[in-house]
Amino acid sequence: MLQEAQTAVQGISGADLVQVAKFLAAGLCMGIGALGPGIGIGNAVSHALDGIARQPESRGALFSTMIIGCAIVETTAIYALLISIVLLFVA
Amino acid sequence: MREELGKLLDHLGQKEIATWHIGDFAIQVDPKTIVMSAIAGLLVVALALILRRALRQPIEDKPNRTQAALDFVVDQLNGQLLSNFSSKSLGTRMFPFVSTLFLYILFSNWLSLLPGLEAPTSDPNVTLGLALLVLVMSHVFLVRTKGLRGYKKEFFTPWWLSPITIMSEVVARPLSHGFRLFGNVFAEMVLVTIVLAKLEPFVIPIGLRVIFGIGFGLIQAFVFSILTVAYINLATEKH
Repeated sequence: MLQEAQTAVQGISGADLVQVAKFLAAGLCMGIGALGPGIGIGNAVSHALDGIARQPESRGALFSTMIIGCAIVETTAIYALLISIVLLFVA
Repeated sequence: MREELGKLLDHLGQKEIATWHIGDFAIQVDPKTIVMSAIAGLLVVALALILRRALRQPIEDKPNRTQAALDFVVDQLNGQLLSNFSSKSLGTRMFPFVSTLFLYILFSNWLSLLPGLEAPTSDPNVTLGLALLVLVMSHVFLVRTKGLRGYKKEFFTPWWLSPITIMSEVVARPLSHGFRLFGNVFAEMVLVTIVLAKLEPFVIPIGLRVIFGIGFGLIQAFVFSILTVAYINLATEKH
């Protein structure tokens, strides 16, 4: 078991480790970065739906305002995506 | 079929960059993106020219089918976009610009539905270009409503906050505006390709592709144009 692990480790160079770190960091960045916007958009949509259920005639105005709100909440996820792309392809 | 899709997965997002040397300058372009965005633009123009023919009838006549459909589209655009402008005069002035942007992005997104074609909006350069267009536009509006002095005041009061203001207004805003469109279109492309390549036996590929493409494309084009409306509103409001 130990010997197997040692032989497996011998082939790994520093560049490989950097690559591993890059992939890990990009995945974590996107995953954690999408948490907040997910909660935020969920909140926004739930309250918009509440509003529509209470006043069905205000549907149009609520819908487009909700889309703007969702787009702005999404911005942090976009920044996370940007950082992931930079990590994967540029850094 | 499956190997082909797997190969597509390997080359996903890869660009073939052509380089032009003009003197000391090297201009790098992606020919595919240029061709695709030209196709999208030509598609919008061609549709407009074709559909215009159906509108050549006396105004008292009963509207024919094409006119009814176009009326529906314009009504929808009116209802969703025009109502979000802060003032009516601004709305009527800016409506052509915003709806053109919407239609162009819509057709760009929908291009990926056709076999062999690719959405030009899945290239960050295209979306950032469109976002820059909107940025310049909103700044021109800002100068027009506030004057040069007011424009300067907007960014330099208080002066110690100016780096943050400039960063968020001039750098982060077009970046997030452009990358939102790119990220969503690109993610849709990746998702559909992966699902097609890996889960091909389980789903109806074409149906998924079409439903995803139409829904995502429509929503993203709408978000982009409605954010444009919001930015123009911000630039023209008087305190």
